[in-house]
Amino acid sequence: MIQLRHIERVFMVGEEEVHALRDVSITAEAGEYIAIMGPSGSGKSSLLNILGLLDRPDSGAYELDGTLVSNLDEKQQAAIRMHKIGFVFQFFHLVPRLSAFDNVALPLVLSGVKPDERQTRVSTALAAFGLGNRARHRPDQLSGGQRQRVAIARATIMQPSVILADEPTGNLDRSSGIEVAEILEELNHQGMTLIMVTHDPDMGKRSRRQILMVDGRVEGGKGEDRSP
Amino acid sequence: MLPFDFFRYTLKSVTAQRLRSLLTATGIAIGIGAVVLLTSLGEGLQQFVLAEFTQFGTNLISVNPGKVTTHGISGALISNVRPLTIEDARILKNIPQIIDTVSVVQGNAAIESGGRQRRTTIYGVDASAARVWRFEVAAGRFLPDDPPRAARSFVVLGSKVRRELFGSSQALGARVRIGGELFRVLGTMESKGQMLGFDLDDSVYIPTGKAMALFNRDSLMEINLLHSAGSSSTTVAEQVKKVLVARHGSEDFSITTQEKMLEVLGGVLDTLTFAVGAIGGISLLVGGVGILTIMSIAVNERTGEIGLLRAMGVERNQILALFLGEAVVLAAIGGLAGLGLGVGGSWLCSLLIPALPAHTSWSYAAAAELLAVVVGLLAGVLPARRAAALHPVEALRAE
Amino acid sequence: MRLRDILSFSIRAATANRGRVLLMLLAMAIGVGSVVVFISLGDSARNYVIDQFSSLGTDLLIVLPGRSETTGGPPPLLGETPRDLTLDDAMALSRARTVRRMAPIIAGSAPISVQGLEREMLVLGSSSELFAIRHLALSQGSFLPPGDLSRAESVCVIGLKGKKELFGSGPAIGRWLRIGDRRFRVIGILSSPGVSLGEDLGEIVIIPVAAAQSLFNASSLFRILVEAKNSAVIEPTRQAILEIIRQRHEGEDDITVITQDAVLTTFNRIFQALTLSVTGIAAISLVVAGIMIMNVMLVAVSNRRAEIGLLKAIGASRGQILGLFLAESTLLSTVGAAIGLVVALLGIRLAGILFPQFPLQLAPWSPAIAIAVALISGIAFGVLPAHRAANLEPALALARR
Repeated sequence: MIQLRHIERVFMVGEEEVHALRDVSITAEAGEYIAIMGPSGSGKSSLLNILGLLDRPDSGAYELDGTLVSNLDEKQQAAIRMHKIGFVFQFFHLVPRLSAFDNVALPLVLSGVKPDERQTRVSTALAAFGLGNRARHRPDQLSGGQRQRVAIARATIMQPSVILADEPTGNLDRSSGIEVAEILEELNHQGMTLIMVTHDPDMGKRSRRQILMVDGRVEGGKGEDRSP
Repeated sequence: MLPFDFFRYTLKSVTAQRLRSLLTATGIAIGIGAVVLLTSLGEGLQQFVLAEFTQFGTNLISVNPGKVTTHGISGALISNVRPLTIEDARILKNIPQIIDTVSVVQGNAAIESGGRQRRTTIYGVDASAARVWRFEVAAGRFLPDDPPRAARSFVVLGSKVRRELFGSSQALGARVRIGGELFRVLGTMESKGQMLGFDLDDSVYIPTGKAMALFNRDSLMEINLLHSAGSSSTTVAEQVKKVLVARHGSEDFSITTQEKMLEVLGGVLDTLTFAVGAIGGISLLVGGVGILTIMSIAVNERTGEIGLLRAMGVERNQILALFLGEAVVLAAIGGLAGLGLGVGGSWLCSLLIPALPAHTSWSYAAAAELLAVVVGLLAGVLPARRAAALHPVEALRAE
Repeated sequence: MRLRDILSFSIRAATANRGRVLLMLLAMAIGVGSVVVFISLGDSARNYVIDQFSSLGTDLLIVLPGRSETTGGPPPLLGETPRDLTLDDAMALSRARTVRRMAPIIAGSAPISVQGLEREMLVLGSSSELFAIRHLALSQGSFLPPGDLSRAESVCVIGLKGKKELFGSGPAIGRWLRIGDRRFRVIGILSSPGVSLGEDLGEIVIIPVAAAQSLFNASSLFRILVEAKNSAVIEPTRQAILEIIRQRHEGEDDITVITQDAVLTTFNRIFQALTLSVTGIAAISLVVAGIMIMNVMLVAVSNRRAEIGLLKAIGASRGQILGLFLAESTLLSTVGAAIGLVVALLGIRLAGILFPQFPLQLAPWSPAIAIAVALISGIAFGVLPAHRAANLEPALALARR
């Protein structure tokens, strides 16, 4: 379960203060499927960064699965990112010199999992995402859809409870986009919380709940908001 | 492109990546700094040695018994069947260009005064020694011009011997005992300091004849000749040789002119300076590799920019010149900084060790700066050629 | 993260750009290679000189007349003293308990002639024991006969080169030659070990010490060589020599005794200082190589911002990123150092083949130095880039493509 309470985030851009998030409070139950929507510059990505512990709020509290994570130190936050959160990006962010296999294995490598265990877990994951015969390919030898599937495999290899997706279909053609969306939704069905930033209304409609951001505020939403 | 614009463009490229350019230039700066500093020290050493050797005056020729062999000191200095004599020295003085001669015998003995004793170097010399060797007398006067065989027992003390034996009390006129014989102190010398490890102040001077008697020796160790400034040392040496060969029947002595010695010494020191500078130059080589690396990276990163320039009609040669210019500017800036580093370092050195006046020769400095530019050029050639060879369409695609 | 994984990650990161890596390795290799070569040069030169000295025997003491007051200053190598070191002094020394052998030496230069051929050569007046003390070797004949030192027998032993110059390829043993105004019979020819300590043993004539005394008309000895019973009694021997001479010279300390030890220590010091300064100069290039590695690593960090952001997003801690980049720079410098070491080794081998007379070898501790240098520079110059990488804000790093 995710609980954001009164989150504020201010950036300095040059001399100017930019209020990226203003008093944002959101609650997401485990297993929810939420789309965060809004025009560009509305604070969607800032919100996602806070949710993913890539950024710290200036004030407010963030609770993940009952732990107050906004106050944890760097190292503890890294551990949370490693074990509880999976990221999927618009531009995939695969390490170009590593093969698909090694990209997926990265989180396992970082957490010190033994090579033979890595072998089985990564192979299983690649097969599950239909990439069994692409393990040795480098990212530049893969299509966009394949790259995103590698990225999703990497995001889920540690069995996180939350998947954060930042425009996961933004850089894909329509059919690959739908394919990727279906994969993410399948993962959601299996119980992972899926939070997706998108400005594509069609994508937004697929989710069970939408949160609309304007000017750093949550302006409203549709669907089953179970927050108090 | 106007030269000014060309220069501005390269300078912009260099300053766009400030830290990177700084580090690259630092590499060259350290290399040039090392070369400049080391050659300055070498140059300083050379001047120092030159000063050491000319402090006893110029236009000197020394004659030693025995032919000098290839291996250092001749055994003849110790013993010889055909000795060099006071008579030889007297005859040599008749050569018109020779102003003065000094007959030298040197040895080690104890000198006593009152209860104090000190073992020191004894020089048996003529009255002319003070003139020929440019010795300054601190008090009293130097040895008198007695006939060699009938010299009176006078002694002149080096400053350290005077201090050790007499402390603050009066030395002039005092009687000292050297090897069982009494000598009267006629004068004391100004401090001369060390020369190549030998403490010149820790010595005393007595007449040659007295020294020969003291050491029970009837030949000289060396004859020093002072020739007139206008005469050529080679010609004088020739004449000395002729005179002595006529007297001895063969060339059983060796003649060293100061000029020749300084020449040889200068050659050795030049080689040394060059060698040390070359070792310092290894750093410069590494600095050059640094420029090469950074310029390769720059070409890689700016592929798009190169494509754009080409698309706008810039020629291959101009691209080449742009990147070469950048490498040269980096190296030249580094070279200038290194020059400052080297000159500052040698200045600091001469401040800390006043005895060794590090001296930056400007020809070396200019050569170092030129070297930096050349290093920049060489290091820039490869990346610049790669930049120039890029196909505009492919280069643009990289953006 | 496992060490092996850190290494394999760094290797891949480092080798992703081959040309760049080669240049960095080259820079490091030049630096380490030159340092190792200069250390080895200095070390070999030191060993060479010390070997030369040790070949004289480590139990050798040299007695010379005169003494200079300043301790640590140069001994009075040349020059005269009022009181000679006499043959009787020398013979008195051989009576000391710890003295095994003793050889008096008078040195001088004299014209040597055989049937009109004349050469100026170094003439050594000494005794039969010189042979053992200086580890001389004969190619023909015999050395000076043992016996009464004050007997001036007219025999001589001649160096190989001198023999060739005076007698050509013909026989020399038994022939007479003239030294100054005296005639000597050749009884032995040295086998030439070449130059030993600046004395060309090829161009030398050795005659009995008493003969040299009358030849040079001098009673004073130039040196006395003393060999102690073993190297443990060097100091007692030195004291004994000083005591004997003091008694004979009416209580005056007017000689200098040089021991091998003292000479070796001096040479050691000189060579160490020399090696240190030359190596220090060469080591400047290591600093330059280090700066270059730092520079390229900084470029790598800015090029790989997105990757660093990603690593953070998938849970890499600050420490892990720091470790990864430090590992990369250390790896580069270590491999570079290893290459430098190997190149230096090959260079030294090659020099050994080209100049066999100078025994050049890799200083034994140079691998340790190379590795230490590599680790230190890899870490020292890797810290700044690694810090930059570790401190990148992940959100920003990911946002900028």
